[in-house]
Amino acid sequence: MSSSVILSYITFVYFLSFLLYLMMMVMGKESIGRAATFVTLAGLAGQTFAIVLRWAESYRLGIGHAPLSNLYESLIFFAWTIIFLYLLTEWRTKNKSIGAFATPLAFLALAYASYSPSVNSRIQPLVPALKSNWLIAHVITCFFGYAAFGLAFGISIMYFLKKLEKPGKKNFFLRIIPRPAILDDLSYQMVVIGFLLLTLGIITGSVWAHSAWGSYWSWDPKETWSLITWLVYAALLHSRMIRGWRGNKLAILCIIGFSCVLFTYFGVNYLAGLHSYAQS
Amino acid sequence: MQGLRNPEKRGVPSRTPQGRGMSVTQPFRYAQGREPVERQMVFDGKSGKLFCDCAIKSMMIKRLGFELLIGGCTLGIMEEPNRPDDPNILWKIFSSLKLTLALLIVLAIGSVFGTLIPQQESAMELAHKLSPGLARLFSSFQLFDLYHSMWFRFIIALLAANLIVCSINRFPASLRRFRGQPSPERPKLFANLAPQMAFALNRDLEEVSNNTSAYFRERYKRVRSATTAQGEHYLVGERGRCANFGVYLVHLSVLLILLGGLVGSIFGFEAFVNVPEGATVEKVRLRKTRAPRRLPFAVRCDKFSLDFYPNGTPKEYRSDLSFLVDGKVAHRGVLLVNHPITFKGITFYQASYGTIAGNMARLRIASKNGVEDSSFEAQLGKTYDLPGGHAKFEVVDIRSNFMGMGPAVQVQVRAPSGRNPRIWLFQNQEKIRRRFPGIFEKFPQLNPAAFEPFVFSLEKIESRYYTGLQVSKDPGVFIVWTGFFMIVVGLFVTFFMSHRRIWIRISKSPQGVRVEVAGIASRNKVGFAKELDRFRDKLQDYLLEAPPSQAETA
Repeated sequence: MSSSVILSYITFVYFLSFLLYLMMMVMGKESIGRAATFVTLAGLAGQTFAIVLRWAESYRLGIGHAPLSNLYESLIFFAWTIIFLYLLTEWRTKNKSIGAFATPLAFLALAYASYSPSVNSRIQPLVPALKSNWLIAHVITCFFGYAAFGLAFGISIMYFLKKLEKPGKKNFFLRIIPRPAILDDLSYQMVVIGFLLLTLGIITGSVWAHSAWGSYWSWDPKETWSLITWLVYAALLHSRMIRGWRGNKLAILCIIGFSCVLFTYFGVNYLAGLHSYAQS
Repeated sequence: MQGLRNPEKRGVPSRTPQGRGMSVTQPFRYAQGREPVERQMVFDGKSGKLFCDCAIKSMMIKRLGFELLIGGCTLGIMEEPNRPDDPNILWKIFSSLKLTLALLIVLAIGSVFGTLIPQQESAMELAHKLSPGLARLFSSFQLFDLYHSMWFRFIIALLAANLIVCSINRFPASLRRFRGQPSPERPKLFANLAPQMAFALNRDLEEVSNNTSAYFRERYKRVRSATTAQGEHYLVGERGRCANFGVYLVHLSVLLILLGGLVGSIFGFEAFVNVPEGATVEKVRLRKTRAPRRLPFAVRCDKFSLDFYPNGTPKEYRSDLSFLVDGKVAHRGVLLVNHPITFKGITFYQASYGTIAGNMARLRIASKNGVEDSSFEAQLGKTYDLPGGHAKFEVVDIRSNFMGMGPAVQVQVRAPSGRNPRIWLFQNQEKIRRRFPGIFEKFPQLNPAAFEPFVFSLEKIESRYYTGLQVSKDPGVFIVWTGFFMIVVGLFVTFFMSHRRIWIRISKSPQGVRVEVAGIASRNKVGFAKELDRFRDKLQDYLLEAPPSQAETA
């Protein structure tokens, strides 16, 4: 069985864990929550195996390289980082409600990778520009950063949902979501991690571009959009650290920031540029 | 957390409505969670400190007209915001965070436009489509080269100024926090201490004090102690003082990166050159102005090769280059993508490749009567005899792609009769004939049979590879790299390190000795609360197990 077949199955594993997290929130049963965590963990293990298998497959084809080289492989890795970071957060916070907002992101990324006709899942050889050790550092930092911003986005959505809760009236769905102040702090922590990693991602990309094309910054659309994203999150961090913005304003900024991330990732493909190999 | 200072040093704030030496209690409502709660704030005029009976966000205090230093979980110490009296309105504007936020957003939005409007070379296409008025508007705002436009650079300069002014404004406070030696004696810190932060021991006061001091000194820096008249022992120690400077490191590195870019754009250049195999070049063409620039040495492309994967995607581009100084080879190197070569401070990158026509072409010459039919290897610029010896011909031009119709050569025929036609011959003659029927007959300069009775045709032209090199010199790049390194360290310090200070009070109690632990952290309060818990546990264990120690001079 090839890695891409396994990965297409993992899509449904994450969908199942999304459903389980949702059921846990509606029914409030801890056992379902445990099952959800277990399924997600199993999905992550399966996905890790599939990624390693894909790596091995590429060597068997004689074009060995880390599976981080095109849109398909990046989507797979994006889903992996989201789940990985989410499980880490669940373990740290002991709260499973974030799962209902994090697993759909991973599910969507995998579904897009596996079932969109425009995404090519074949293992392709590396073109000369991609043959660099910076590839791995660049892709890993960028996508862990994206994943952290994705979680901050999910937590901000949770924040607005929690705000709907009327005091006194216990809502089945919302009661398990942590207090807004905790969500606020958690999304801030995610943004901090994401910001550090995005900075590293831009830096590694920049150093790489310097050795591949002779210019560390050439205002290519993807570069520019990553800078826009960086500026938005820099504004967010300053508004919180210095002006003490909290709550609604910050949650909205998190959502704007993540839409910039998505545009950096997908939207830029509709504009021409140096990152063209990430389109197919 | 601006305005965080050492109150002891600064004395009583000047702008207190109640004046010096008075104590004022101010009730206020503070929303913690949903319901606002009635709280009390006490301003102690003698010490110039403000205390309140709840954990309180710094913003809340700001709205009340104060700034505060959050003290642990239960109390705050207020201090008057101390801005240098700056009559300079510019300084005031540039020290505002609102300006920072506005500039960040304007830069972001400006950059968005730059990705939507084609820039530089690709801008021409759009410019032709736009109405002349709109195109003029676009170019007057320099929207076709937005990132190098005056206004974009101006915003970056404003941001840099903003960054510098803000940092200068805040730096003294951070330096004071770094250098400030907090007084060990802080009874108020222990006033509302959570019960789990204290423990009792059935030991001798002096012994506990000495052991605590020894334990404390091993783990925290700049531990100082004091003993009050009542016989209470106080200790203070701290860790992570450098965390105060993380943000300046980040700001400094942003400035360094901008400086590096500036240095590169002033003292460096970006150029390109195509070097055919075997050829030597001394001049490159600048990207920005297209002006030629002479290198201090010559570059020869000895060989260009490319390698493909079985499925046809390119695997490797490789140029073997020689660098010549005064005609002598000074350095040889293999240039690959991602593996640039630097020679005498100028760096070469493998950017592109292509083919150009060489000097040789193979022609076939047939005569209409079918008697003569021969192949010629003809060299550019040399004259050859036509069969029969009456006329001569010369290949005057060889093109790898003439008028978009593929390889072609131009042949000049010289006959004694004075009929000297010049004919273009195409390698893809049959294809062109099918696409444009009658084209060769219609234009004599394209007619291969223009010189009766001969019919020329082009079989092949020799083609050579050329390698496309990006040539650049950027003396600013090391400044940028330094900035990159520093920004990572700075962000790490800013976000993950915190300035933690711990106070310990040891006093006599009915059970023997009472040890209390309190602390203040500049960041990550949750983590610090855990650290305090651990510290108290470990200290208790240590004190229980520790042997009586010798008297220590603190």
